[in-house]
Amino acid sequence: MELLTTLGFGQGGWGGLLLLGALMTLAVTLVALAIGAVIGSVVAWAKLSRGLLPRFLGDAYTTVFRGVPELLIIYLIYFGGSRGVSAIGAMFGAQGFIGLPAFLAGAIGVGLISASYQAEVFRGSFLAVAAGEIEAARAIGMPQLLRFRRIIVPQVLRFALPGLGNVWQLSLKDSALVSVTGLAELMRQSQVAAGSTHLYFTFYIAGGCLYLVLTTLSDRVFGAAEKRVAKSFRAGLGRG
Amino acid sequence: MKIQHLVLMAALSATAFAAAPALAKDWTSVTIAMEGAYAPWNLTNPDGTIGGFEPELATVLCAHMKVKCTVVASDFDSIIEGLNSNKFDAVMDSLSITPERLKVIAFSLPYANTPAGFETVKGSPLENLAGTGTALKLSGDPAKDKAEIDKFRDAFKGKTIGVQAATVYTKFLDDNFASVATIKEYKTTSERDLDLIAGRIDAGFDDATAEQAAFQTKGNESLEYTGPQIGGGIWGPGQGVGLRQADTDLKALFDDAIKAALADGTVEKLSQKWFKINLAP
Repeated sequence: MELLTTLGFGQGGWGGLLLLGALMTLAVTLVALAIGAVIGSVVAWAKLSRGLLPRFLGDAYTTVFRGVPELLIIYLIYFGGSRGVSAIGAMFGAQGFIGLPAFLAGAIGVGLISASYQAEVFRGSFLAVAAGEIEAARAIGMPQLLRFRRIIVPQVLRFALPGLGNVWQLSLKDSALVSVTGLAELMRQSQVAAGSTHLYFTFYIAGGCLYLVLTTLSDRVFGAAEKRVAKSFRAGLGRG
Repeated sequence: MKIQHLVLMAALSATAFAAAPALAKDWTSVTIAMEGAYAPWNLTNPDGTIGGFEPELATVLCAHMKVKCTVVASDFDSIIEGLNSNKFDAVMDSLSITPERLKVIAFSLPYANTPAGFETVKGSPLENLAGTGTALKLSGDPAKDKAEIDKFRDAFKGKTIGVQAATVYTKFLDDNFASVATIKEYKTTSERDLDLIAGRIDAGFDDATAEQAAFQTKGNESLEYTGPQIGGGIWGPGQGVGLRQADTDLKALFDDAIKAALADGTVEKLSQKWFKINLAP
């Protein structure tokens, strides 16, 4: 009964704060995934390109961002980012400190990491598109942009979906590291509630359960999307 | 066209540089960071607001400084770096003044200095030793302090005192109580408290605020203080407001406000409210 009051939504209950934290986690991860998708596709393009320089830069990006601890990248963006923004601001006459908001810093940090994984997913999916499809499109005289839009993007996305589901889960858990910036996401709110009440066990378990809810629900969403997409694959390739 | 643009840009930025104030900032508003998860120093209420000893003290200090203060939450691990990269102007987060920290930040005068004390189980022969509930300020001079400690040293004759290993408190016990009592060292304070409740040892010795927090944990209801709260600077200078080294003017403001809050009893009143002991240095 006491537990219900502690974790509930009434007076003195932490339910509301934890739930808001979970929503913040979801928001950070969604923005991070979007940032990652944009940067990730550019990096995938670079890695697949014939030019030596883009290929080198693309490889360097995925090596660095997959190889360096996530926490370090988040610290770098949160502290370094603010110093950078302030320095640029000072050049244009702004006074003092310009902060990079914790939400933005966190989303960029997680997004940059997610981009390196998404780039690999996109690259693999592109290579999985049958060469004959692109040849056929070229043979009927489809211009490059139309080829990209009609042939490559739809198929790459289909192949990428299971991999993207993985990246999503990774990013969801990476977002817990954003708690170091003080952003009121799920991890930080669990810590705050635990430290304020000395009920460490209760609140870390509650936080863990909410993460599980988030990952289970998103698993469902990705599962449904995969099933839907699988319909248009030839038998044997897709599931269901 | 392009060159004209460049010239214009250069001229604009030159005026901007000239206009930028280079000298001391006039402190009208101060942002104070704390963890918001270190009860009772600072904690978060279920409605999301920050409360506790330090936010309430901050309100008093800021009123004295005639500065508008905003309290923000920050993670403890990144709080010193956050201060130095201007995310906030001051830190009040039970931050002990240490030589290592003084290399990277500045501190105000201490507004608290947690004493240490003995704990025992209710009903034990060590209950309510001489001086229980009073504060004993030690000078750090062994000759002078010995006389004070003699007043309750003999009560521990033949007893076993538990203490966390490798702390300032271990050294204190070794120096002053090893002649009469057995000192047993523990890796963590919670192991020590379990043994104390189980009757394997007779008393514990620790930071009084840490003991207070332990008393409120489930299963520890039978623990209580005994003997005086020992403080007075022998454990270190205490906890102060963390500030950037460059902001000497802000340090002067805080020092002045803390002196006033110590003099008029505000610090004592607030620490009695939140800790049930006096933390005033």
